[in-house]
Amino acid sequence: MVSTRVGTERGSALVVNHSTLEVLGHRALTDNTYVLRTTRPDSPIEAGQCFSVGTRSLAINREYSMYSAEDDPFVDFLIRRVDGGAVSTALADLREGDPVEVGGPYGSFCLNGDDLLTRRFVFIATGTGIAPFASFVKTFPQLDYILIHGIRYDSEKYDQEVYEGDRYQPCVSRPSIGAGERVTDMLESMDLDPAALYYLCGNRNMITDTVHILRERGIPGGNVYMETFF
Amino acid sequence: MRIAISYPPIVNDRGQKAMVSQNRNVQYFIKPTYLLPVTYAQAATWLKDDGHDVLWDDGNAQEKTYEEWFADLISWRPDMVVFESTTPVMKFYWRVIDELKAALPSTIVVMSGYHSSRQPSETMEMSSTDVVLRSNHVDFVLPRLARDVKLLADWRDECAIEGLSIRSTSGIRNTGHFIQVEPLDRSPIVDRDLVDWERYAYENGNFLQTPGTYATSVIRDCTFGKCTFCRYNGPDLTFSQMSIERSLDEYERLINEYGVKEIFDDSGVWFRGQDARAFAHGIIERGLHKKGCYFGFNTRFEYLDEETIKLLAEANFRFVLLGFEAADDETLQRLNKGYQMEHVDQCLEWLTKYGLHPHLTIMVGYHWQTQEQLDQTVAEVKRLMFSGMARTLQVTICTPLDYTPYHQECIREGVLLADDYDDHDMSKVIVKTPIPHEAYYQAIREMYGISYHPKFILRQIRFLASGRKRDWQFLFTYGWRALRRVRQHVFNLTSASQEDHAPISKTSELESVKR
Repeated sequence: MVSTRVGTERGSALVVNHSTLEVLGHRALTDNTYVLRTTRPDSPIEAGQCFSVGTRSLAINREYSMYSAEDDPFVDFLIRRVDGGAVSTALADLREGDPVEVGGPYGSFCLNGDDLLTRRFVFIATGTGIAPFASFVKTFPQLDYILIHGIRYDSEKYDQEVYEGDRYQPCVSRPSIGAGERVTDMLESMDLDPAALYYLCGNRNMITDTVHILRERGIPGGNVYMETFF
Repeated sequence: MRIAISYPPIVNDRGQKAMVSQNRNVQYFIKPTYLLPVTYAQAATWLKDDGHDVLWDDGNAQEKTYEEWFADLISWRPDMVVFESTTPVMKFYWRVIDELKAALPSTIVVMSGYHSSRQPSETMEMSSTDVVLRSNHVDFVLPRLARDVKLLADWRDECAIEGLSIRSTSGIRNTGHFIQVEPLDRSPIVDRDLVDWERYAYENGNFLQTPGTYATSVIRDCTFGKCTFCRYNGPDLTFSQMSIERSLDEYERLINEYGVKEIFDDSGVWFRGQDARAFAHGIIERGLHKKGCYFGFNTRFEYLDEETIKLLAEANFRFVLLGFEAADDETLQRLNKGYQMEHVDQCLEWLTKYGLHPHLTIMVGYHWQTQEQLDQTVAEVKRLMFSGMARTLQVTICTPLDYTPYHQECIREGVLLADDYDDHDMSKVIVKTPIPHEAYYQAIREMYGISYHPKFILRQIRFLASGRKRDWQFLFTYGWRALRRVRQHVFNLTSASQEDHAPISKTSELESVKR
């Protein structure tokens, strides 16, 4: 994924370190999505940042956003196993104690310290793009936010208990009961606060369509931050 | 409207011509490579599709003198002229614009490019430019701007397109942030006839066979976007992707209708994983892999797995450009390269095993680079080239590109030696370094010298045993061209190093760039 707009004033490490971390465990969330937990690298981490993750034998890596809080003594990654995807499959096969190669953290898809207590946030995600938002919420429990999560099935409401009250608003396109809804449908029907900060993370079609809606509805470009999957 | 997208010929006082090179910065060469500016070509196509009369006015590729180019442009009497500029030629462009406005006062001059987009007020102040685009999505912005100019009675005060600086009746008017994400599928595929594609089809080191061409890029900016030295890193840059089928349609047309023999996609980083495999499958399903055309792209270490590389080879991919940058992990980490040295061999072995030709892009002259780190890079490059794991290379001096994190770091640490934009032309080291600058030039000469080395030539001869046509072509067709280019690079750096000991100019002398 790639991040756009510098969203932090808390500073990020200039030097990206590579570490061999140890797998602490796996937690299956659906048939093809899991949380990989590893030991924590020495580098300082900011919620919203990502890492290059791979295994020694693969010699390739992929970027994943951190799913855990920035001060947790471990790092969680929310990973969807891709058909034919070498990295997501290999990481799924790792067992407790196995080494995992991690580069990072890097990226600037982070929250600005000045905004934490003064601004309202609208987080918009598709699928595992919810990871950085989970990290924000776990790191900063005082945040004033809503989280709109586009998913295909009801089973993909990953760890929804993390989000208090009705802050978590899933948009299920293929629900078990009733009509499906997409993120863009929900946005079209919502009152959008032009003073809020909008953070987008997920597939590129959602990002493109959402940015278009936000602009049409008068949200200033400077209030929109995004991280696109590729 | 009559709209010209113009690239004036620029020749420096060594008689070298400016060419757009790595990261769309300018470098000077006696015999330049003419690269098709793909995004601007898309903009030209879109404007033409909207009914405008468009002049594709690349004075460099058209091999005009400055005087010929200027006279031709004036006589065409454009309503709007669009320029793309960058740091080392900013002063030249400001002067050209003033001359153009003097000759054609009512022509609207639009300036674009990475330098002015980051600092629009400077260009407004230093020239009579009418509009500065703060977006790199020129293909999306220009048709909107042309529409407003045509339809709004007082467009300078009324135009509401985001991301512009406009010289209005009341001063400079800024229209806020531009739209960062644009759906790439809406931008047209390049009209090859409009941009006179054959002018870019032969003199390009990336082509083993000609005519070659650059595809309409499938990815705008960079998928990774975190390397600190790179243009594709910053708050105003993002990543967007064109659909695979649309790109395949273009490849099919280029091969069948234009007879193209090599296609290179210059996206910052091309497809990987599922998308790369789907693209290769598409090439094979359409039978394009049997048409005698090679394909190439930019990628990163640790991005492509063996299965994907094997499939790309089946689809007749050949040229794979990889940013190697340096051979020590500290430098890779400081540059945020996102890969480790220990995995370089594996990637190159896979590429070589399936007959692809890896091309390494190396840089030297980082402000922290020690002799030990430099020696390590030279030794590693030699090892990779002599062993056949890499086939070609290019070495450049790491010039801090303005407003990149590396540039900001150089300023913050007080190591930037140049304050004259002309000095950013990648011909010399412009940062304080722990060892003499000559050591970096010597390293470059040594790395380019690899192509003359008997070990390297012997390795290429051994490749002939593979029976692959491309390996024979590499040795007998490409070889002499490559050697000529190496001589140019060595010449450039030899000249630069002779000048490097003189103090760097503190004043801006427009005369330092000859027209």
